[in-house]
Amino acid sequence: MPDSKTKTLLALATATLTVLPTAAVAQDTLPVIAIPPVPTPRNVETDAGQTGVIGIQIADQIESDLRSSGDFMVIQRNTLKQYSPTEAGAPLYPNWTGTGASNLVTGYVQAREDGRLTIACYLYDLKQRREIARKGYVVDAKEWRRAAHRCADAFYERITGTAGFFDSTVAYVAETGTRTSPVKRLAIMNWDATDHRYLTQGESTVLSPRLSPDGEHIAYVSFSGGAPHVRIRSIDGDDDRALLPPSTISFAPRWSPDGRRILLSMAIDGNTDIYSVGLDGNYPQRLTSTPGVDTAASFSPDGSRIVFESDRSGRQQIYVMNSNGSGQQRISFGAAGYASPVWSPSGDRIAFTRSGGGKLQIGVMRTDGGEEKLLTDGWQDEVPVWAGGRTVLFQRTDPQSLHAAIYSVPITGGQPKRLTTPQPGSDPAWSGGSE
Amino acid sequence: MRFAAMLFALAVSASAAIAQPFPQPLPPGAYPQGVLPTAPVVPLSVLQADLKTQSGTDTVRFQRESYVLDPTSQQVLARQAQWLLARPWIRANIEGHADGRLTRDYALALGERRAAAVRNFLLAQGVSPGQLNVVSWGRERPASAALHDASWLQNSRVVTVLKQAPQQQFGSEPLPQTDLPNYR
Repeated sequence: MPDSKTKTLLALATATLTVLPTAAVAQDTLPVIAIPPVPTPRNVETDAGQTGVIGIQIADQIESDLRSSGDFMVIQRNTLKQYSPTEAGAPLYPNWTGTGASNLVTGYVQAREDGRLTIACYLYDLKQRREIARKGYVVDAKEWRRAAHRCADAFYERITGTAGFFDSTVAYVAETGTRTSPVKRLAIMNWDATDHRYLTQGESTVLSPRLSPDGEHIAYVSFSGGAPHVRIRSIDGDDDRALLPPSTISFAPRWSPDGRRILLSMAIDGNTDIYSVGLDGNYPQRLTSTPGVDTAASFSPDGSRIVFESDRSGRQQIYVMNSNGSGQQRISFGAAGYASPVWSPSGDRIAFTRSGGGKLQIGVMRTDGGEEKLLTDGWQDEVPVWAGGRTVLFQRTDPQSLHAAIYSVPITGGQPKRLTTPQPGSDPAWSGGSE
Repeated sequence: MRFAAMLFALAVSASAAIAQPFPQPLPPGAYPQGVLPTAPVVPLSVLQADLKTQSGTDTVRFQRESYVLDPTSQQVLARQAQWLLARPWIRANIEGHADGRLTRDYALALGERRAAAVRNFLLAQGVSPGQLNVVSWGRERPASAALHDASWLQNSRVVTVLKQAPQQQFGSEPLPQTDLPNYR
């Protein structure tokens, strides 16, 4: 049936032609969003201030989140009308269609008898004059910001088709100083760069922060005392300790999914191997024993498997093994070098850094090494970490300034987007979020 | 005149002694029993310069991703070993580095591997294990600010860095008297 085949091909070609221009247009004209202040039925004093003020802050937060993504334009607040809480679920469209916005965000905040807050938010398509997303939360008054982040997450996903991460925190290494004498500080912030804090003050070089599954601790590498070693510190407290006895060179920490063990690499007399260590530093279990460099280990989400890199073949390649070190098996076979593998939260993919052709690039592959796909084309893109199951955070170094910055890229493809940080930043870590 | 010169020399060595950072502050009044005031104290920078002069350099370089010591490096390290053997009270950090185009963890591993190769060479020359401490800086302290291919050789290196020997503590044995280089 050559005719139908030709028809199918033609149909495909037409589909491609029609899809491409719209995609290109969509990049040029960003959705324009109107986010007027969120009203309250009655202004009530709560643990976190008056509900009327919280309503304004919620609008601020949703605006900050959506702006930080770079995927939206937000209309100046003071040009917008106010609305009543009852209008939140039934907007008067003529009030908003003249603003030039394509979408409207409404909501209300109401104090409950038990001191908590009901926070509702709605997203409207102003052209089609219909509601396209809504969320409602009952939270402690002081938790209003998380509800706002989750509204922004839902709206972001509804409009762009990719998950939003505004209700999550990012740890990273803030970089100042010069290249030959850098100053590196552990820093933590919300996804949209609000609530930014430094956890160390640059007295020692620090690397590789990794947030614990419960989000309360951070494992990292510090050069305090001279040699690199893994330390564990609490995010809100002063507790900060070396995981292993002094004078042990250790690095590349990674939490087990249950948060009770740390995978790390120890370098002893020219040989680097992977160990699994209890949180108290006891019972280190050696998992590799080849004479080469075995490092950058990462657990599968169920904790039963480990992916790591090794140069036992002569060049950095990716291997998998069981969590007790048995069944070691190479999965990457490309002509390039493969490094820093990370198992995805969904369990079916591994993100990695590929070095070859004068570049470092981020890619993903199946856990058996199949379906290798490069996601970035920078000059030096490295240190992949998963943010949810479909997005990878990584560090990109600019070939001119040699400054590093943190980017995110969806594994379905697309342009990497830069996260806002106050200074150049490296070594991202992600807390887990709404998903 | 000779007396005045001696006084001047004493004053210089005393101020040098004060300039030395103590690992722990001494209790008040413990100074006479603590650090031996008569022991000459030589700044680390002077010792480091002497090591460089006598050995040719304090740094050996490697091919990219290699940890093999070439004949030139071996000659340098043999001279460093002589220098360290003659001063058994001095300690040194053997600091390994790798270039900035390697991934961070691999660079840390390679830096340690290079430093271990240097340490093992020095041990084979008779240097005491207690004098040497292996450190890896990975790619975190490049010698050259550039991150481009030309910087690979400069950054693929191991540096012998002399460090503060443990200070004489209250009540312990006196430091060994040895042939320190001339201090001016």
